[in-house]
Amino acid sequence: MLSQVRYAAIASVFALGGVAACTRPTPRAHTVTIKNFAFDPAELTIARGDTVVWSNTDIVPHSSTARNAAWDSNAIGANATWRDVPGKAPGRYEYYCVFHPTMKGTIVVR
Amino acid sequence: MSPTRLTDRRVLGALVALATAVAVAGCKKTENPPADTATPAVAPAPDTTKPAAAAAPAINDAQIAHIAVTANSVDSAAGMLAEKKGASKAVKDFGKTMVTDHSGVNKQAVALATKLNVTPEDNDTSKQLKSGGDANVAKLQGLTGKAFDKAYIDNEVAYHQAVLDALDKTLIPNAQNADLKALLEKVRPAVVAHLDMAKKLQSSQTT
Repeated sequence: MLSQVRYAAIASVFALGGVAACTRPTPRAHTVTIKNFAFDPAELTIARGDTVVWSNTDIVPHSSTARNAAWDSNAIGANATWRDVPGKAPGRYEYYCVFHPTMKGTIVVR
Repeated sequence: MSPTRLTDRRVLGALVALATAVAVAGCKKTENPPADTATPAVAPAPDTTKPAAAAAPAINDAQIAHIAVTANSVDSAAGMLAEKKGASKAVKDFGKTMVTDHSGVNKQAVALATKLNVTPEDNDTSKQLKSGGDANVAKLQGLTGKAFDKAYIDNEVAYHQAVLDALDKTLIPNAQNADLKALLEKVRPAVVAHLDMAKKLQSSQTT
């Protein structure tokens, strides 16, 4: 009887661990393509902890610079990439290219 | 004169007109915003009553490559001056971006020419672009402060509008090599972005 209780307790611990693992999804990697002097997608929604890769397919350098200084890639060269984990706290993050301020994007962290 | 040669002459004439307009845009008095005045001079309304026969190759790829490289070099030279002499941070930053972007484009153009084993061929349009650019830099050298910023940005608006028109009406349509055409098509968004940025700076100067 005692061993049955122990077994049930251990099984419960594993079950709880499983539930906890299910409620905390594995961080995902997203890509924002910089093409023709625009961020694509212009707005991206991510979860906390997700990674975003900015991939510059243009022939000149660009940057991904958050207006609130949450991140700044500095120059991302032609055909280069830069990655960051911008979702440290939920919110709406506006960013732009410091070299071409007409280029604007948004990251929404859930 | 054969019809082809006649077409060649017409398109070359249009290119020379473009280069002249760019040169004039850099030299004219700055009290008139060049965005409105330069466009008609550079891009006369197309005659839609005639078929698009002028799409036949008018200039060769080596000449197009030379025009592209010259246009980039001209704007880099002005950008270097703005980086140094610009009064406002916005103008200095814009000048720096022009140097970076146009130098980057030129690097790719030279790399492509090397890959294709094409030697860029000097031509009247390139000469006009170069002399117009030199005249603009000489004019800017004599200016300081807000007068410099205004003259520089006014010219940048007119220049990028003229280059955009040349890309759309002459350079891209006439490029024969697929790689050269693709490079010119990749350059186009840069010119559009530069034009937008210059126009924004221009309007912020006048308000």
